[in-house]
Amino acid sequence: MSEKAIVFDIQRASLHDGPGIRTTIFLKGCPLNCLWCHNPESGIAKPQLFFHFDKCSKCKKCSEVCGENVHRFADGNHSIDFDKCTLCGKCVEVCNDSGLRMVGREMTSGEVLHEVMADFDFYKKSGGGMTLSGGEPMLQFDFSMEILKKCKELGVNTCVETSGEITSQKFSQIMPFVDIFLFDYKVTGLADHKRYTGVSNERILKNLDTAYHFAVPIILRCPIIPGVNDNELHFRAICDMDKKYPKLKGIEILPYHTMGNSKRISIGLDETLAELKTVSSEVAEKWVEQLKSYGCHKAKIG
Amino acid sequence: MQKIDDFSMELNFTEAYRKNIKEHTAIREARCHQAQFPAVLNEIQEKDRLAGRTFWGWVGFSPHNAPGGAAYGYFCHEQKIIEAIERGNIPMEQRDGVHEMLHFWKKETSKAKVEAAFTPKMLPVLFRDEIVSLPYNFKPLIANPIYRMAGVFVDYDKLLRLGIPGLKTEIAGYRDKSKDSGGDWKLYEGMLIALDVFVDSCRHYEMQAMQKAHICADSKRKEELLQLAEVLKKNAVAKPESFYEALQLSWLYTLICGSLELGRVDVYLGDFYVHDIDNGIITEEEALSLMHSYWRLINELFRDVDGRVIIGGKGRRNEENADRFAFLVLETMCTYGRAILPQTTLRFYEGMNPGLMEKSISLIGDGHTFPLLYNDDVLVPGVAAAHDVPVEDAEQYMPLGCGEIVIDHMGFGTPSGSLNVLKALDITLRDGVDQITGKRLGLPTGDLNEFETFEEFFDAFKKQLAFFIEILADHEELEYVESGKQAPYLYLSMLYDDCIARGKGIFSGGIKYLGGSLESFGSVNAADSLTAIKKMVYDEKLISAERLIEALNHNFVGYEKEHKMLKACPKYGNDDAYADDMMVELHNYMCNTIRDQRERTNLDWYLNVLINNKQNTILGRWVGASADGRKAGREMANANTPAGGNDKKGITALINSLVKPSHYIHAGSVQNMRFGRDFFITSRPQFEVLLDTYFKKGGAQAMITVINRGDLEKALTEPENYKDLFVRIGGFSSRYIDLPRDVQMEILSRVTY
Repeated sequence: MSEKAIVFDIQRASLHDGPGIRTTIFLKGCPLNCLWCHNPESGIAKPQLFFHFDKCSKCKKCSEVCGENVHRFADGNHSIDFDKCTLCGKCVEVCNDSGLRMVGREMTSGEVLHEVMADFDFYKKSGGGMTLSGGEPMLQFDFSMEILKKCKELGVNTCVETSGEITSQKFSQIMPFVDIFLFDYKVTGLADHKRYTGVSNERILKNLDTAYHFAVPIILRCPIIPGVNDNELHFRAICDMDKKYPKLKGIEILPYHTMGNSKRISIGLDETLAELKTVSSEVAEKWVEQLKSYGCHKAKIG
Repeated sequence: MQKIDDFSMELNFTEAYRKNIKEHTAIREARCHQAQFPAVLNEIQEKDRLAGRTFWGWVGFSPHNAPGGAAYGYFCHEQKIIEAIERGNIPMEQRDGVHEMLHFWKKETSKAKVEAAFTPKMLPVLFRDEIVSLPYNFKPLIANPIYRMAGVFVDYDKLLRLGIPGLKTEIAGYRDKSKDSGGDWKLYEGMLIALDVFVDSCRHYEMQAMQKAHICADSKRKEELLQLAEVLKKNAVAKPESFYEALQLSWLYTLICGSLELGRVDVYLGDFYVHDIDNGIITEEEALSLMHSYWRLINELFRDVDGRVIIGGKGRRNEENADRFAFLVLETMCTYGRAILPQTTLRFYEGMNPGLMEKSISLIGDGHTFPLLYNDDVLVPGVAAAHDVPVEDAEQYMPLGCGEIVIDHMGFGTPSGSLNVLKALDITLRDGVDQITGKRLGLPTGDLNEFETFEEFFDAFKKQLAFFIEILADHEELEYVESGKQAPYLYLSMLYDDCIARGKGIFSGGIKYLGGSLESFGSVNAADSLTAIKKMVYDEKLISAERLIEALNHNFVGYEKEHKMLKACPKYGNDDAYADDMMVELHNYMCNTIRDQRERTNLDWYLNVLINNKQNTILGRWVGASADGRKAGREMANANTPAGGNDKKGITALINSLVKPSHYIHAGSVQNMRFGRDFFITSRPQFEVLLDTYFKKGGAQAMITVINRGDLEKALTEPENYKDLFVRIGGFSSRYIDLPRDVQMEILSRVTY
């Protein structure tokens, strides 16, 4: 159990990432680059500096210890040159406001498994287990394989939340160790998919098809972003998926929220969809109604 | 409510005491009861279906149910009397008498007698005043005596089986036998007088109910009052035969004996209830109406930390009937609405009617802070081991007030001392000296920088703890000895095993088990502080001992880096062995050392309780900054619950930590869990699994509050809209908006799931 991965969070007592009470492992690194990503800090597969602007008291201690001139103070503003950061961690150490932190740390599958197994008793009775999420968890393939296999050996239910963007060979290797997929269905149409997520959906749809015919239970997860995919074409396409794959365990609508944007600034990225507001529950309900009116009765808000 | 400044009852009481000062203590106490009852019994009020309201005087006798600030034995509430004198409203003819009375009780109250008997070892250590919730005008020390004989659970079953006449017959028999054999027959004589006082009180209320009925225009209410008068009349002359009579008798006895706990209502009322329902004597609706009146009286007369109504559990002689009554209790909660009292307590075990737990969980989910849940599968063997009693007696365990466990009508265990564990650690860092006052409070064990290893330092802390624990144990024993010398506590002795048979008062060798408990506060902060000291000063040597003391002395101001490092150390509540093992070691040491006091004293048990009330906040005000990163004067963590905001890994990790400290060595440990309402509504099956797994893993007890953080935040800014928001602070429920701001903030700071 020595395969390593960059983990950016472990959430215990997780109730919304698969059945029962679960422990969700968030792995860093994702081949997609979705405009609306709510975990932008999961994008790259290595640790990175994270800065909470509102917590900073401008004590300037960070700039005193930084040898790379990453932290700059001008006109009372604290700006950060993220590109120059070498991840030495000195600034994090001296920051007393908890304004600076490092996102992501290397862990072995053994260490992660130890934390997963601590809640074993809770999984048994609730039908829960471990969920690998991300980022794209299958990107850190060797780690994911190792821990999924081990979980199966130990009788822990496994769930993988995936974009599906991985070679079919690797996907087929991992699939037998997955009890349930939370499989993203993001954008309809190859060109649009590429435009909004940065990748084509060819491989993704093929992997979905493979998993379905291998009889792995699947919950389809559909992020709905106003102005991007809240249109009839996409909604009808979701219904088509339901018709094509009648044994899908569920279809969940994930309405857009703005949390991703505040985090983007914290890691030195520009805001995306800056004018877009968090979707109200009324609007989300309407989407579900619309889907149902097209005959997709599994649809619900995730 | 302001008592008019008429002191005739107090003067009569004092006169009765003086006249009988040389008499047998039983006769003296009985004569005092005569002066007290029915004089302090308040009127039957508009909606009361049961008679019995007390309005204690400023002088009187009661084990515990006396006005706050004086609640123990023969009491005199000096402060209130002085206030009355200053108001100048005392009738002219009473004035000299009141002054003289005030002077008289200075040396005669039960508390004064205990303080006069302090040993030289106690004098410099024990704080000599009541702990009251006044923030700044008292300075609690490390060891604080509490004066009360709390946790009365009389034998209601026997009371209802025999009734007053039956009890009289039994006692008279013992008196006559004792007289013939030259024994201490006056104890029995005192009991008989006390029972006459009880009968007088029944008759007093009977008359009152009749009079009120005569002038009542509402025919339904008139009928109710006449029915009540009839019930009281029966209580005076016969054993109860109906549910109504049984409920009235048990209620009035509870009040007059000075108890604040209702005990196993499902056992002692269950048969009456089922009999009356099954025979068409009473309807469900009528039973519920009586229960509502019962609920209202408990709410209005008892304090927030008391009023235990206990249902369910092992060792019920009439389980089926008791279960039916337990459902009535839950239905009463449901229909009465959210309330601070009673503290309904559900005891449960594998195999008990599951409907009781299901209904209880629904109530909790609806925002009732009750029932409190007690796991008999853990607690019965736990009590048997900790209290060292047979399992059949352990099955009769009763959590009192904030959660201290005693044995129903067999074992007393008043929590009459508190220990501020974090403050004890505070002085251990500084050679036993208090940094605020500069006074020596503990043993000279050296400064932190004098210890070569962490183990040496921990040993010094243990020595300090043992020093205070021994003094508190001696004090507990002394409190019983002095109580016994002063009075037999007649109403308790009559209904506690084995006082009548032995011919001795409850605190003079009459009771089957005489135990005690010590309330410890701040253990979690102390354990987390020890963890931080071990890691930073000894294991990793990142902060020197001198630097740590400086940082603490300066409340971390100018020592922000150290503060951050200390806060980042592992904390109890995250299923992290580094921190949890320390908590377990401290827990074991505390519990075992306290439990060992039975070898040094004549107590049958003396046990740690990790309960919480407001004391974690109040005592925290006098503790400087601590090595866990807590700032000076801030609240300490509640009971066995992680310090506010420190349980960062979620409810399952919290549960895994909570089940680590053993339940076989203490007399009660409170586990607070709070859930957001959303959690409860959307994920009830998962909630039930969490709870079930917690109990299966060895969880003994759970106090669950379902609220959301938004509720609390809004309540701070719009208190007028949140009058119905109740929160439980471990040991009791309270109206959130009435709490002091720092207590509110402390509650808010805890994680809500």
